[in-house]
Amino acid sequence: MTPLQLDLLTTHYNYYAVVLLLGIGLYMLVESANLVKKVIGMNVFQTGIFLFFITLAYRTGGNPPVITDGGGPYVSPLPHVLILTAIVVGVSLTAVALALIVRIYSEYGTLDEETLEQLYYD
Amino acid sequence: MTLTLLEGALLLFVLGCALGAALLRDTLASVMSFAAYSLGVSILWLILQAPDVGLTEAAVGAGIMTILLLVALANTVTPNADRLLESINPRTLVLVGGFVLVMGATVPALPAIGDPTAPVVGGEVTQYYLDNAYKQTDVKNAVTAVLAAYRGFDTLGEAVVVFAAGVAALSVLRREVFA
Repeated sequence: MTPLQLDLLTTHYNYYAVVLLLGIGLYMLVESANLVKKVIGMNVFQTGIFLFFITLAYRTGGNPPVITDGGGPYVSPLPHVLILTAIVVGVSLTAVALALIVRIYSEYGTLDEETLEQLYYD
Repeated sequence: MTLTLLEGALLLFVLGCALGAALLRDTLASVMSFAAYSLGVSILWLILQAPDVGLTEAAVGAGIMTILLLVALANTVTPNADRLLESINPRTLVLVGGFVLVMGATVPALPAIGDPTAPVVGGEVTQYYLDNAYKQTDVKNAVTAVLAAYRGFDTLGEAVVVFAAGVAALSVLRREVFA
């Protein structure tokens, strides 16, 4: 590894973690045959994006954005708000997906993607 | 910010838990790995000075999400745990590897972590909220002020999404009585 890349790793480490989490989430979404694991993969992918936003909001030596006299500097509150909303929306999405999964199981008796495809085309 | 030992260890823990969730064949083990992952991520939010997000992640991500997944598992099946780990499909691995390389190539263009002159932290929107949130809303926590006052319609939309999700889940799960 060249010095330039090593330098990037020490200043951009969270972004590399974001990229890896997106990769793991995408792999689970594409490759998992089990539908529950697909939902977990979707959540891992989401959390990767959350980490990107919260890292962008961070500043060195910053305090949490609770305003006090002489309490600065603060990290940016706006990405925190967006991610709070996104977490709740993500849970709603997961709840609907899991409800669909329970329904699929009660109709077809399996959660395996390939078996479901065969059942569908038969 | 330079990488501290705590944060480095936490990032490795989070990535390891995500890998565990992806590769463990037993769905219950995968769910447990994901719960540990959520807990690690919520501590990561605390380190990044986002306590509100950390609290929500711990309560909703690690708490409610795990309960939902466990309830779903209790009502369905887990696959045969004949092997500990999933077999890896090389074709998908190449696809995901390409995606990771393309995304990774954009990382050097981003500002360094903690850079006070970066567009988000040093931007005028952030400065406006920090300067005026307490004066205009009487709320000391700027995150709450932005969430409930400045972006109140956003939060109303969020409530609509939660309501719609509840309706959708109930209508999907309703059993036909005269089937």
